[in-house]
Amino acid sequence: MRMMAVIDRDLKKFRRNPLVVAMSVLMPVLYLLILGHSFQGKLTGLPLAVVQGEQGTASRQLLENLRAVEAGPHTLELYSMVDQEEAIAGVRKGDYKAVLVIPRDFTRRVTQHNRPEIGLFLDNTDSISSSSIQAAVTGALHAVGQDYVTIREQAGETYQREINLFRKVDYFQSLVPGVVIMAVFLGSLTTGAFNLVMDRFLGVDESYMLTPLTKTDIVGGLIGSGLFITTCIALLIFTISILITGIPFNHFLRQFFFIVVVIILTTLGLLSLMFLILGRFNHPRIVGILSGFLNVILFFPSGAIYPIASFPSWLKIFARINPEAYAVHALQCILFKDVGLTAISNDLFFLATFVLIMLTAAITTFNRKI
Amino acid sequence: MQDKVAVEVSGITKKYGNFTAVNDISFTVAEGEIFGSLGPNGAGKTTLIRMLTTLLKPSSGDALVAGCEVVKHPEEVRRQIGVVPQAMTSDLDLTAYENMDIYGRFYNIPTKERRQRINELLETVGLFSRANELVASFSGGMRRRLEIARVLIHKPKILFLDEPTTGLDPQSRRVIWDFIQQFRKGDAMTIFLTTHYMEEAEEFCDRVAIIDHGKIVVIGSPAELKAQIPGSDTITLRLENISEPLTGRIRHLPFVWSISVEGHLLQASVDNGAQNLMELLENIKDQGAKVLAATIHEQSLEDVFIHYTGKALRDETKKVDFLIGAGAPRTLHR
Repeated sequence: MRMMAVIDRDLKKFRRNPLVVAMSVLMPVLYLLILGHSFQGKLTGLPLAVVQGEQGTASRQLLENLRAVEAGPHTLELYSMVDQEEAIAGVRKGDYKAVLVIPRDFTRRVTQHNRPEIGLFLDNTDSISSSSIQAAVTGALHAVGQDYVTIREQAGETYQREINLFRKVDYFQSLVPGVVIMAVFLGSLTTGAFNLVMDRFLGVDESYMLTPLTKTDIVGGLIGSGLFITTCIALLIFTISILITGIPFNHFLRQFFFIVVVIILTTLGLLSLMFLILGRFNHPRIVGILSGFLNVILFFPSGAIYPIASFPSWLKIFARINPEAYAVHALQCILFKDVGLTAISNDLFFLATFVLIMLTAAITTFNRKI
Repeated sequence: MQDKVAVEVSGITKKYGNFTAVNDISFTVAEGEIFGSLGPNGAGKTTLIRMLTTLLKPSSGDALVAGCEVVKHPEEVRRQIGVVPQAMTSDLDLTAYENMDIYGRFYNIPTKERRQRINELLETVGLFSRANELVASFSGGMRRRLEIARVLIHKPKILFLDEPTTGLDPQSRRVIWDFIQQFRKGDAMTIFLTTHYMEEAEEFCDRVAIIDHGKIVVIGSPAELKAQIPGSDTITLRLENISEPLTGRIRHLPFVWSISVEGHLLQASVDNGAQNLMELLENIKDQGAKVLAATIHEQSLEDVFIHYTGKALRDETKKVDFLIGAGAPRTLHR
C-alpha cells in the first residue's frame, strides 16, 4: 500500500507535466528520423569526376554503367571533366570525392586483352566514401565484362549464390530496435531515480523520509512508477516506428508478447542501474551530465547501429555486460527473424539476472538518511 | 518530574569530522508540553531535531521519543511523530488533498478514515475550499498550514516543528500559532519546536532551552529564565555623546547591573526601571551629556537570549563540496 502511494504520486506528477510526456515520445522518434537520414546505411550522391580520354566502345560502356549507378542507387553523382590535372585539384579542394581517368588506349587494350587500366584518384581521407566509390566503380567495370582493377578473371571461377535466410530488412527498419531501446533509456533516465534527485533538489524528500516508508517502499515505488511510464512510452514509440518503417509481423501476438517482456526487463534493469548511479545525488545538473555519457556508452556499443562482431575486442567485452546490447539483440531476433524463444533465451536470462543484481544493489545501498 | 516523559534525550552528540554540531545534550520533555529550543544560527537546533526525528544518526548518545529509541527503532519513532521540517516540503505538483492523501497512505490509514480526517484537518487550517488546487498556486503561509495539517493525519503523539513561522507574514504566524494550540488541546499532543522569534517562544512555550555551540546553555520556563538574569528592566537611552567617565559613573550606580554601548545608544539592565530612571538621568545631566530619547521595557526572553548568547552575529557556514558544490551527495552537514 505504501509503495502504491509512492507510485501513485509519481504518476500524478508525470501527468501534470504534459511537455515532458510529449518530449519523451517525440525525441526517440526524431532520433529514428535523424539517425536514419544521416547514416542511411548506403551512401548516396558522392561526387565523382570522370575524365574520358576516348570515345571507344569499352569506354562508353563503362560510363553508361556508371550513369546507371547514378540514376539507380544514387551512389554517385558524375561530373564530366576534360583536364585530368584540374579534376585532381578538384578532389584536393573537396569538390569531388574521386576522379576516374579513362586513358586514351583503354578500348584498344580491352579489345586486345592487353592489360587495360583505368585510374581512380581517391580522397582517401574519407575512407567510408572512398570504399563506396571503389565498390561502385568496380561493379561498373565488372559489368563491362572484365575486371581490370583488382580481380583477374580465371577459368573455373566459383560463382557464389547468395540466399537470404530472412526477409529483407531495410536500413530504417533495422534501426527500430535501437530506437525502442533509446526510448527505454530516456524513460529510465527521466523517471525513477530522477524523481528522487528532483525531490532532494526541491527539499521535498525530507518530509518523505520522516514517514514510515521503508527503503524498499521508496526505491520500489520510484522504480515501479518509472517502469509503468517507460513501458507505455516505449510501446508507443514501437508502434510509431512500425507505422513509419512498415515492418511486417508473421505471428503478431507472440512477437508482441516477447517485445513487451524485453522492454519490461530492459526498463527495470536500466531504472535500477540509474538508481544505483543517481540515487545519491541532489542536483539535476549531475543527471544532465551523466545522461549524455551514459547514452553514449550504453547505446553505441549495443549493436543498434553497427554490428558488435566488428567491434575491437575490448569493446566486445563491454558489449557483453551492456544490457542494451542484449535488449537490441533480442528485439532484432523477434522483429526480423521471428525465431521464437530459443534465440532470445540467452538475452532474457542476462536481462533478468541484471535486473536482480541491480535492483538488490539499488535497494541495499540506498541511504534513507538525509 | 512527575509528568509522563515524551522525549528523553541522554548525552546525544553529532560530530562532522572535527566539528561538533551537537555536544552531549541531555534533557526531557514532558507529555503535553510545548517545548521550545532557541539558539542563534548554527547553534545545533536543526541537527538536534533531525536526530530526534531519525533523519540523522547520532554520533553517540541516544534519545527516547514517545517511548522508542531513535537509534535502535527509528521506524517505531517515525510512526509516533509528526514533523514539519524547516524547508517547505509539500509537493508543488500535487493538490492540497493529494498531498495529504498520499501522506496518509504512507501511514496505512484506511481510505474512509483517511478521507474524513483530511477533510477535517483541511477545514481546521482553512484550506478546505482550496483542497483541489495545486500547491504550486499557494502562498508560503498556505503551504505551511497544509504542511502542519499533513503531519497530523496519523494523530502523532509528538509534533516536531522546525522554525514553523520563519519567513511568514505576521497574520500567517498568528494563524499558525492558533492552530498549534488548538491541535495541542484537541489531541493532547506534545510539541517540540525551534524558533527564532523570542516573543513567540515567550508567549507559547511552557519551557525553553537556549542552545549555543551545540550545548544547552540554560533550560526552564520563560518566567524562570527571566528571573535568573540580573535586573528586571532595560533602559535604553539615546545620548548626544557618550564619554568614558559617563559610562563609568553609570556602571557604579547601585541599581545598575550591566550596561552596553552601541554608537549613541546606551542600554542598561536595571532593577525597578520606572523608579530609578530619574536618578539615572540626573547622573547623566551631571556629566553634561544631553539625552535625546529614553525608553524603559520589562526584560523579555530576548534579553535572556542576548544575555546567554551575546550580541555577536553568527554567520552560519555550510560546508559545500569542493568538487560539485551544491550538487554534492548529502553526507555533509547542513
